[in-house]
Amino acid sequence: MAGLARTQTPSEPAADYSIEIADLEWELGPRKKIHTTAYNGQIPGKLFHLTEGKPVSIDIVNRLDHAEIVHWHGQWIPPAVDGAMEEGTPMIPPGRRTRIEFTPRPSGLHWYHTHAPANHDLHRGLYSGQFGPLLVEPRQNPGSYDQEQVLVLHEWEPYVAASEDGSQEIQYASGSINGRMLGHGDPIRVKRGQRVLFHILNASATQIRWLSLPGHQFEIEALDGRPVPTQAKVETLRLGPAERISAVVAMDQPGVWILGEVLEELRNLGIGVVIEYAGQSGKPQSADPKALTWDYRVFGDAASVPQKPDITIPLAFTSKFQGHGAMDRWCINDKSFPATDPVVLKQGLRHRLVFDNRSQDDHPVHLHRHAFELVSIHGAPTGGVYKDVVIVKARTRVEADLVANNPGPSLFHCHQQDHMDMGFMTLFRYE
Amino acid sequence: MKHVFAYVSLIFLLAAGTRLHAQGNYEIQVYGAETVAPRSTMFELHSNFTAVGQKDYVDRQAPTYHALHETIEITQGINNWSEVGFYIFTTFQSGLGAQWVGSHIRPRVRVPEKWGWPVGVSLSTEIGYQRALFSLDTWTWEIRPIIDQTRGRWYWAVNPALERTWHGPDVALGVGFSPAAKVSYDFTRQISGGIEYYADYGSLTNIASLHYQQQQIFPAVDLNVSPDWEINFGAGVGPTAATDHWIFKVIIGRRFNWGKSKRSAQ
Repeated sequence: MAGLARTQTPSEPAADYSIEIADLEWELGPRKKIHTTAYNGQIPGKLFHLTEGKPVSIDIVNRLDHAEIVHWHGQWIPPAVDGAMEEGTPMIPPGRRTRIEFTPRPSGLHWYHTHAPANHDLHRGLYSGQFGPLLVEPRQNPGSYDQEQVLVLHEWEPYVAASEDGSQEIQYASGSINGRMLGHGDPIRVKRGQRVLFHILNASATQIRWLSLPGHQFEIEALDGRPVPTQAKVETLRLGPAERISAVVAMDQPGVWILGEVLEELRNLGIGVVIEYAGQSGKPQSADPKALTWDYRVFGDAASVPQKPDITIPLAFTSKFQGHGAMDRWCINDKSFPATDPVVLKQGLRHRLVFDNRSQDDHPVHLHRHAFELVSIHGAPTGGVYKDVVIVKARTRVEADLVANNPGPSLFHCHQQDHMDMGFMTLFRYE
Repeated sequence: MKHVFAYVSLIFLLAAGTRLHAQGNYEIQVYGAETVAPRSTMFELHSNFTAVGQKDYVDRQAPTYHALHETIEITQGINNWSEVGFYIFTTFQSGLGAQWVGSHIRPRVRVPEKWGWPVGVSLSTEIGYQRALFSLDTWTWEIRPIIDQTRGRWYWAVNPALERTWHGPDVALGVGFSPAAKVSYDFTRQISGGIEYYADYGSLTNIASLHYQQQQIFPAVDLNVSPDWEINFGAGVGPTAATDHWIFKVIIGRRFNWGKSKRSAQ
């Protein structure tokens, strides 16, 4: 089924789902209220359970005073409904309603969020509450777990601050998991011996997050919704903006724990959730992990030998200094969006994307409507890990293979809102 | 942006009904509003050489001519809006050798960045002792409002400081007015250049005549080579009779972060 976006007619039956975009006053904690914009009056937006391959219709009404757009992150759907105006999806004018229809694929944890620019307005774009999780179930679900939890990370009350290197950066006064600051939402109640599947989404506008659950390990099942070849166990999780991790935790350490940011100062902002074993009580415990390490290759197929690419596409990321009192301008191959040169794909061919980060910042880069296979991380080969967001650390390279199999324009960008707003975007299009 | 901070220790003396002065330049910086981050410590060395200055003793106070002043400044960040600085002032000069001059302590608070003010605002207060050989005013107090702003490549800061002597002849002067200001431009990410201005107008209620005012202009450069380092240097001209006429200054600072987790990943 092709994707479709159109204005709803009065005689049409109700859509399967609806999203209302509106202003919201939200209580992060007992004495902490924020004013933002959000979906359906809640943060995060409600969890959409869709089924892979089963068409769905969604009504979206925009109650705000400016145009908005909703992007279906991680879904391989047509540009008309993907939710990026650069690809041709129409924005939803103020006060208007639109209906979109598409067939969800692939399965896994994905999300939906605004794709409107924020520019210098720290109340718009992904600084707002316009995001929600999307769980696309496979037609058969072979999962082996006792409980399933979706956790959505976000920060609030952004402000511009001087970074240690003297340039400007966005910082936050508060944070939350599932819309509540640590200690102010319901705890996740578990029983000893249970296997809990956590679907974790970093819906941050700009921040890379590290999470841990003291005394427990995460058995990684999927990254960005795609199952990984090696379900390795790790002590800490790293998630760049827009990255998703699905991981099973064996609950074998009774107590009351904090699953949250590894840094105390960030947990104090609210980024954590309490895990409470049955029959246990007391103050939630946290502990520093032994080490902070994350390596995508651990989850790859060590024996995998990447196929030779048909086409190699270098993508160099650089910044242009605008002064210590301004955000840097970001460039792909020395050009800043909208002046960037489109990347031309040939249908059916294997393209090797060489992400060459020549800047001093880490970048979580995202390609719409496709997934790519990681084939080398900082020169070390890997294979079998498919993602739609990958963090390219400063002064390093990541190579990823993309088989062009979903025609139409597809936006490629850094998923940090401030970088995207400052030109870190380009379009992939098919020849 | 690397901020350049300033402090000029200026001493006005009243002798036989005539305002005289002796001058000691130990820390020459225009303060920015930013404070040192919590769990971080900044160590700075201020080196100031007076090429053309006061050659004679003034009321038993040592001259400044060809004096090398070395000041160690240690600033500890307390939280996101406060810090405490500590100074050790020394001098090296002919006839005196190496001498400890005095020490100051300087708490400072700022308007937190998360308040989103369009300008940076902080307030420091500095209390200290200096030996009578170098200043007859042995106990002094300063309160320094600090306002700054970075816009694009431009940076400006003003420090309308007020000084009060607690022990010494200047007790009778009341509150003194010693403003400082700075404007700079980012030529590149690493190099900023600008002008720093320092003055002492004497008593706030009885501004001294220009002849007795201290006025200094420093063309200065900031090198932003690393987040952990602070480098500032400049050459100052003092056009009034009461000011040392040529001073060269260098500030080298190194920031240390304590207890912050290292994050590594592929």
